[in-house]
Amino acid sequence: MKLNRPAAWLLIALILAAGVVTAMPGASYSHQDRESTLAGASTQHPAGTDALGRDRLVRVSAALLLSLAGALAASIVTTAAAAGVGTLAAFGPSSFGWTAMLVCDAFLALPWLFLLMMIRSALPLTTSPASSAAITFLVLAALGWPACARAVYRGTLSLKDSEWLLYARAEGLRRGQIVRSVIPNLIPLLVPQFLICVPAFVIAEANLGALGLGIGEPLPSWGGMLLELDNSAMLIETGWVYFPVALLVVILLLLEAATVEA
Amino acid sequence: MKTMRQAAALVKGLARMLAILLLVLLGSTVLVRFAPGYLSDAREMDSRYAGAARAELSAEAARSQSLAQMFASEIGGWARGDAGLSRQYGVPVFELIRPRLAVTGGLLLRSLVLAWVLAIVASLVSSAGRNPSLFWQTPATLLLAVPTAAMATLCLLANYGGPALVMALLLAARDFKFLHRTLRKAWLDPHVLQARAQGIATPRLLLKHILPGIASQLAALASLSMVTALSALVPVEVIFNVPGLGQLAWNAAMNRDLPVLLAITMIMALAVTCAGIAPDRPAELESA
Repeated sequence: MKLNRPAAWLLIALILAAGVVTAMPGASYSHQDRESTLAGASTQHPAGTDALGRDRLVRVSAALLLSLAGALAASIVTTAAAAGVGTLAAFGPSSFGWTAMLVCDAFLALPWLFLLMMIRSALPLTTSPASSAAITFLVLAALGWPACARAVYRGTLSLKDSEWLLYARAEGLRRGQIVRSVIPNLIPLLVPQFLICVPAFVIAEANLGALGLGIGEPLPSWGGMLLELDNSAMLIETGWVYFPVALLVVILLLLEAATVEA
Repeated sequence: MKTMRQAAALVKGLARMLAILLLVLLGSTVLVRFAPGYLSDAREMDSRYAGAARAELSAEAARSQSLAQMFASEIGGWARGDAGLSRQYGVPVFELIRPRLAVTGGLLLRSLVLAWVLAIVASLVSSAGRNPSLFWQTPATLLLAVPTAAMATLCLLANYGGPALVMALLLAARDFKFLHRTLRKAWLDPHVLQARAQGIATPRLLLKHILPGIASQLAALASLSMVTALSALVPVEVIFNVPGLGQLAWNAAMNRDLPVLLAITMIMALAVTCAGIAPDRPAELESA
């Protein structure tokens, strides 16, 4: 049974719903309703409030939009960087190709989370929430390209040996023209790499945030909301604390289902 | 002749590993030194410790003026066997790391063994069946969609399972996906079909015909499992309060103890390169 279409539509519906919730008049992810902290579901707060009285539904919606937008932007940067490095490494001098792959190996030898932690902890103490969000996704993009670049390098090398490229070279096409004609042929390789990066970056941001090293408060993030689960007082007060993690799992499942065919 | 070739390949592999480690050390040092917050300390915000912190930071600024000097001092620290001095505790970094190595090593070993047993059993059963059943695919997909930190927190709240189980489930789900695909392909290889048609018993078929054919992919997957396990270490150790390297790294990150973080990152890079992640891997594993 093919699930990719319904999953994609459901994902789009959720994104639209999140957009509507955050755009509603009076909806603010940072507004604190001190009269109703840790509240359950009500007409005013359909998914309750957190320990500071902030509306959970608005925060979850904003986190969804922020994490998806950030992950998409980071995936675009990663895929473009990987396409550039992989193609140049394959078509450049062999010493450049060797060095580029050695750098890729050096990146691949480092588990992501450690590098992310190192970079995040080396930021100034006064980093603003918006900057922390931008830096988190920028760092994810900067660390995500090597695996993709290796795949592009391999793909380009195999294309380099293909008959049509040999013919193009024999016809006297310059290197720049050849590279330009190769790039469209790499799209079937780049699209899956791009689609793999999106959920990977969403998960990485959530894990980093859950360790207190992700997007700074008051900006909402999946990781920040996972931290609520550490608060036993909240868990006793309301079951809505589990709502963000449940929605995050649903989003990741939908992303997986929507992209599986690619 | 064959021995000579093997020795040359070994030397080449070791040289590449050393080059990667030096590159990692150089890259990490540059990254840390030029990070905008390198010469800042959380203690500066507390009036009781601000004076001492500022004095330490100005000494650090003097020490780290030249990048070459800083890089040489890093290598010197590793050569002396102390990996520098912790900013937070003021003791040699290796004194902090040494007692935690066994804890993390034990956790990694238990998780990897459990994960591989689970993944191999599940993929053998699922790949040998007629249809790739949702019965096996669904839990694997679901497990992959739960961030490690969330899974660990939920296990802790439910008072069920421990750090090894959380890591094993995460690794098993990931390994199962690749193993299932690889085995499914292997079962349909012409020589395997021929062997099945001749009535060769399944255990013999697996040991003699299928496993040798996919051995290189299994080795690549094993090294990839190591990277995944190392990445999962931090949230799992922090949430379950396991006194291992992951928890030390998190503590160092929260307190901006960059020498400790740098040393742990180097150990992780060493573990990954030793596990053989740096050499060529099958293309289908690159995206993992």
